[in-house]
Amino acid sequence: MRNLTPHIPQLFMIVFLLIMAITAVAAGIPSMRLLNDSMIRLAMNGVLVISLIPMLNVGAGINYGLPVAISAGLLGMSIAVNFRIEGLIGFLAAVLFSILAGWVFGCAYAGILNRVKGREEIAGIFIGFSFVFLMSFFWAVAPFKNAAMLWPIGGKGMRPTIGLTAYFEKVLNHLWAVQIGELILPLGLLAFFGFLGWLVYALFKTKLGLAILAVGENELFARLAGININKTRAYAIILSTVLGAVGICVYAQSYGFIELYEAPLMMAFPAASAILLGGSMGRKTSVFHAILGTFLFQTIYVYTGPIANTILVPEVSEIIRVILSNGIILYALLYEGRGKTYETN
Amino acid sequence: MLKICGISKSFGNQEVLKSVNLEIPPGEIHGLVGENGAGKTTLLNILFGRDIIRHSGGYSGEIYFDEQKVQINTSRDAIELGIGMVHQEFALIPNMSISENIRIGREYVHQPSEKILGTALALIDKKQTREEARKILQKLGVNTDVNLKVLDLSVSLKQFIELAREISRENLKLLILDEPTAVLSREDAQAFIKIVKEIAEKGTAVIFISHRLEEVIAVCHRITVLRDGNIINTYQRDQFEINRIAESMIGHSLNRASRPRRVLEEKSIMAFRNFAVAMPGELIEDLNINLYQGEILGIAGLSGHGKLALGKGIMGIYPTAGHVSIGERILDTSNSADALSQGIYYVPDDRRETGLLMDHSIMENIIFTALQQKNRFLKPSLFSLMSRIDYPASTTYSINSIQTFDIRCQNIHQKVSTLSGGNQQKVCLARALAMEAQILIVSEPSRGVDIGAKARILEALSRINRELGTTIIMASSELDELKYLCDRIVVLYEGKNFGILSPNDDDLTFALAFSGKRKEELCVI
Repeated sequence: MRNLTPHIPQLFMIVFLLIMAITAVAAGIPSMRLLNDSMIRLAMNGVLVISLIPMLNVGAGINYGLPVAISAGLLGMSIAVNFRIEGLIGFLAAVLFSILAGWVFGCAYAGILNRVKGREEIAGIFIGFSFVFLMSFFWAVAPFKNAAMLWPIGGKGMRPTIGLTAYFEKVLNHLWAVQIGELILPLGLLAFFGFLGWLVYALFKTKLGLAILAVGENELFARLAGININKTRAYAIILSTVLGAVGICVYAQSYGFIELYEAPLMMAFPAASAILLGGSMGRKTSVFHAILGTFLFQTIYVYTGPIANTILVPEVSEIIRVILSNGIILYALLYEGRGKTYETN
Repeated sequence: MLKICGISKSFGNQEVLKSVNLEIPPGEIHGLVGENGAGKTTLLNILFGRDIIRHSGGYSGEIYFDEQKVQINTSRDAIELGIGMVHQEFALIPNMSISENIRIGREYVHQPSEKILGTALALIDKKQTREEARKILQKLGVNTDVNLKVLDLSVSLKQFIELAREISRENLKLLILDEPTAVLSREDAQAFIKIVKEIAEKGTAVIFISHRLEEVIAVCHRITVLRDGNIINTYQRDQFEINRIAESMIGHSLNRASRPRRVLEEKSIMAFRNFAVAMPGELIEDLNINLYQGEILGIAGLSGHGKLALGKGIMGIYPTAGHVSIGERILDTSNSADALSQGIYYVPDDRRETGLLMDHSIMENIIFTALQQKNRFLKPSLFSLMSRIDYPASTTYSINSIQTFDIRCQNIHQKVSTLSGGNQQKVCLARALAMEAQILIVSEPSRGVDIGAKARILEALSRINRELGTTIIMASSELDELKYLCDRIVVLYEGKNFGILSPNDDDLTFALAFSGKRKEELCVI
């Protein structure tokens, strides 16, 4: 029989999800609306989760330094908003600026991570935390001119929350949206998400992708094959950062706001638990893992809200979500540690 | 004192000890000799309760200590019984002083504090600990400041401190010495042996392991020869004869098939000049050889004498000195990409650690290096990094390789971790072939491989050499396969080129060369 222990979180979540789906129907909550929400949330958060894959596969662990990538995305979007570029063009411009910013930030981030080999995850957490505050300083003095982004009084420094209604709020969500009865299929959003997923999938069918996998699995082997380890790791880290930057653009256009200052701090944890929930065991994480994990994680979130609010006290859904996301990370760490044996005497 | 009855031990399918019996009375120095892989270290690990034994499924058989049957599960058990071990690799704590290392776990404490706080929290009596350490070292003829940190000491001094730690134990009954003199100079080794003899005279039994046969003969009361996990013979003092012991170590193999010798033009394609590799435990020093076009050059020698370091040095895994040149060009040994671009390919001895991507398929393992270095198996593209893998071409090539090398598998998409050792080795060779290497360096090609697969691997190497004209350097601890394949065999002794022997030389010459002796010298002794 196959060993099911590593799959306990997924099995548990699937069972949990089924129970909730049944409860939702029983409690008379409109299930089509929930399905819509879960689809949108899948694509909205999915890119951030996919962005973890290159770093996982190169052996740098989960990118807890995701705030670095998110800051790059925020910068990219701020530039687009500053020039008042609207609509789909505005969004694409934001993505383009984010890619450039992500590339620059990624290079620096890779430089640091290559010096702390083996401890990338903990280093990532601290890099993320310190970087967010460095960026806070930048936001406070950034020379942006669009009044919609600045504090209304004084006109200096960025607002913590910038509304995107006038620029590219929900442009992807509404692109090619098809209504079938009550169900709205956000085809444009799903297509964009699918395209990025395909890009990452295709990456691992290339020369670079194979080198990334080899470095992640066995550095010594890769070295014998003449691969430049640090360069390959840097490529993967830059890719993760760029994807993360694009990810926050997708997230923000759906959410409708750019959130600056301390907002990126906690973004890494839900993404990390989603990919772990999807069954990632470190190396050789596939796009499928990311999509499955995000779907389970976000759908549960979508379902817990209304159900908990109907049956239990309000605000319970947020509590459950936090317990879930941190509990899954903890479980993954426990499972990872079990494989090792220690000298016992 | 110690009696071992029918000890057997397997690692996976490989039986490394086959029902071994051994008896050592108090006060005896018992020599244990054998080739690499004969099972010496495994036997010691069992006696000292090392974790590797328990983690790999324990052992079978019985151990009697002082007439009592004992079960040694952990090193703590062994120490409580009174077994001490001087390790081949130093088991010292670098950042502690000499005296602390010698008395570790058995420090002298201030009595009143022990009564109040208990043993674990008692205050250490540093003065007495130091004093005792100094006395013990003086007994060993070492005069040094016991406050020095171990990390600042010379290798030979460290060896003496290990010995001091063991003999300072009040209950020491059996002392195991694993290659204690390997790192010592001749004078130090003699001093060391003198001390060991004194310890034995006080009634401590000693197990002495060394590759220096003459040393074993000089110090031991009896010598047991291990070969392939069996005890071949136990010699009494009056039967000691270096030739006989060397011969029974090597054994006579059944497969003596010899190949027709060929005469090769001595055209050098690769030259080593003062080449040195700093591989820990396998140093190569000052190597000067020429590699001739089209030959198979064997590298022989006991483990620890440098034969595994050659390939690793060329591929930049360990730091090197001196230089290697291909024709006129000097190789950059810090970067494996340079060696690969010059048509050199290295098949490492530790397949699982460095030779294979265990989690990937046979196909990916075969095409990997050629794909990365030569852009084979790729679809044309603007940026070579982003070019996609050409799956049809890779599949065809892999299927051909499976047939050429007779790799036993379900299909090319099977993970290599599920293959047997022999088939894994064939995958490594198939990868080398995809690289179209000019010079192939193979290390221990038949280690951990069963006999049938071994023959096919050797056959494949021979074919690569004769049909494709690839020059091969082959390092191996199996003398038979070196003699079968090679045109010349370099024997390394203590990291230096001891001599280039012909495969037609007899086993005795080789056995003596392995322990740094020449036949002519023997007559003098």
